[in-house]
Amino acid sequence: MILAGGKGTRLGKLTQKIAKPAVPFGGRYRIIDFTLSNCANSGIRNVGVITQYQPLALNNHIGNGASWGLNGINSGVTILQPYSSSEGGKWFDGTAHAIYQNIAYIDEMDPEYILVLSGDHIYKMDYEEMLEIHKKNDASLTVAVIEVPMKEASRFGIMNTDENDRIIEFQEKPENPKNNLASMGIYIFNWQQLRSVLLNSYSKDDQMLDFGKHVIPSYLDSGENVFVYRFAGYWKDVGTIDSLWEANMEFIDPSMNLDIRDKNWRVYSKNTISPPHFLTEAASVKESLIVDGCYVAGEIERSILSNDVQVKEGTTIRDSFIMPGATIGKNVTINRAIIGENAVVGDNTVIDGTEEIGVVGDSETIGVTIDED
Amino acid sequence: MCAVLGNIQRYNALLPLTNDRPLATLPVACKYRMIDFPLSSIVNANVNTVFMIFNEGETQSVFDHIGGGKEWNLDGIHNRFFIHLYQDFLKLKAQNLAYYEELIGYLEKSKSEYTVYMSSKMLCSIDLRAVMNIHQLHNNEMTVVYKKVSAENVCATDAVLSIESDGKISEVFSAKEQNNTDDLRNLCMDIYIVQTDWLISELRAGQQEGATVDLQDFLRKKIHTVKSSTYEYTGYLSNVFDINSYYRASMDMLNSKRFNSLMYSSQKIYTKLKNEVPTYYSETSEVKNSQFATGSIVEGRVENSLVSRGAHIAPNTEVLDSIIMPSAQIREGASIQYAILDKNVIVDPGVTIAGTEEKPVVVPKGAHVTNDL
Repeated sequence: MILAGGKGTRLGKLTQKIAKPAVPFGGRYRIIDFTLSNCANSGIRNVGVITQYQPLALNNHIGNGASWGLNGINSGVTILQPYSSSEGGKWFDGTAHAIYQNIAYIDEMDPEYILVLSGDHIYKMDYEEMLEIHKKNDASLTVAVIEVPMKEASRFGIMNTDENDRIIEFQEKPENPKNNLASMGIYIFNWQQLRSVLLNSYSKDDQMLDFGKHVIPSYLDSGENVFVYRFAGYWKDVGTIDSLWEANMEFIDPSMNLDIRDKNWRVYSKNTISPPHFLTEAASVKESLIVDGCYVAGEIERSILSNDVQVKEGTTIRDSFIMPGATIGKNVTINRAIIGENAVVGDNTVIDGTEEIGVVGDSETIGVTIDED
Repeated sequence: MCAVLGNIQRYNALLPLTNDRPLATLPVACKYRMIDFPLSSIVNANVNTVFMIFNEGETQSVFDHIGGGKEWNLDGIHNRFFIHLYQDFLKLKAQNLAYYEELIGYLEKSKSEYTVYMSSKMLCSIDLRAVMNIHQLHNNEMTVVYKKVSAENVCATDAVLSIESDGKISEVFSAKEQNNTDDLRNLCMDIYIVQTDWLISELRAGQQEGATVDLQDFLRKKIHTVKSSTYEYTGYLSNVFDINSYYRASMDMLNSKRFNSLMYSSQKIYTKLKNEVPTYYSETSEVKNSQFATGSIVEGRVENSLVSRGAHIAPNTEVLDSIIMPSAQIREGASIQYAILDKNVIVDPGVTIAGTEEKPVVVPKGAHVTNDL
């Protein structure tokens, strides 16, 4: 189950019209592609994607799951949207509540284990390996964790474990963290047990809204076997403008440890049809990623140009991420910025994100534009 | 309307590029194959059934490319395609059997009033609906598409038309027999729209009399014997029949006007989708006036060239005026000018490959170049 329903308010303009997991990333991906590809590569056959806010772009992107090979006879992606039940319609208020609302879908799959994921992280992980550890430990819950720098630990849910990696204590965003094992928001539960815990809580007053705040503490309180699964690769939460920009900049270097060129663990996305990209006589491109449909007549440095981006002459783009379909006019300077989908940046505009990452929203037009067409 | 796509003509002057593939699957414009263009024209005209004819032993790359026909929307409930072997028709003819029956059966089952015939040799993006309008307006048995081209765009086996001022065809020449000194000639593009009923009865009669098994030839011979209309195509066209014409067609893609006319007309060009990563340009890359597909790593100097998917161009290399097909590896210090590198070619460090504009060097598929060429 991929939780793709967060509002993503910290991404500001970029999530006004689309859900966070559908935000473009890395030139030809959307954020959720990494999680969906992990599912496909881990041999998971049934994926439910729980959506809530602005789901149109996300639904369109995921479609029937064919882009990830999840449209087979025994597999499928189901998009789960809030709907009014006989008890009245209700949007979900937390991660656990989202799962509770979709019990009917999960029951239909009748799984032994349920993997709960969030749709807004950039990483490659073999969930099958995590499941093996879960089974080996005979755990009722396994939480994937990653070591974060100690000084950042207070931003995360921190797991304190014993020598066998069993979780003894959970601290949500502790002021004085005891260690640096941060929860990645990835959980494996034994389904029947989680199901009855959720049903029980919702039949009473102490409703469990959130995995971190409610479910994990409750499991620990009842002495359940809760273990960590240690993950050591690249992992990035892209929930803020700064982290989204930073993750894109890290993504450019082909030697980075996410290794998207590894043919054994491909990152799939919905492919769009665009002709090859063209670099003109005037173009200069250094340390950058460019994909299909782009037209480049300017100078590009340490930047990503997504599908169908146009950069006209005399323009310089540095340390920036340009989303699909954006048109950048002549003699523009863009430095440390994110330019939204189908945005238009008029001639002679300067966007300088030296102080704070510059953001142009989706379909936003800035600067004077001269209509050449 | 139903469609027949003929791909049986062989052009020896294209060797070694057509050593183990038909002209139909020859890579062109970085990420396409020749057949993508007629096939896209066909599906863009809402034709929902296609009959394709190939030579025995040349179908592997065809099946690999077309697969289930998904990218061309030929895998729907209402959309289908069929692949037949030319040699099967020949065998039937040798046994004095009715060799056109399979095609006739297809035409009958399609229940289409009109049939369009095309081949993969004419690189163009034609709006068949516009041709159809002319065909319906004149209500003749046949409408022939032609374009006024210069002498270098005609090959010996092409047909050239003499057309009166009212659009009627007065004569049909074989290009090698015609002593035309005019600058431009009316190249028959071997694109025909015909009345299906008429075609069926002609095929029935033809197979009684031992007519040619080659449908393109069959139709050409009919131009003059029935009432034909003409349609002058004015869009981009490259007639690909030898290395030079292929080289010219490829270099045309670096000319924005020609590229846009072929790729960004009202019609989309569909091709097999590949899940490739963005193309990376390193700090040492120097790229001018060139076109790239995705999945490549560019660390050298590239000018006036087309680079297909998944190539690696190492530092201190030069790729000038060349066509690089998928998965080429051009190693440190190599220098390439006026060359066509077929798929999976490896060029060793320091090797020089130098052709001329008139005579580009062709490096065959899979070759490992260890010495200067």
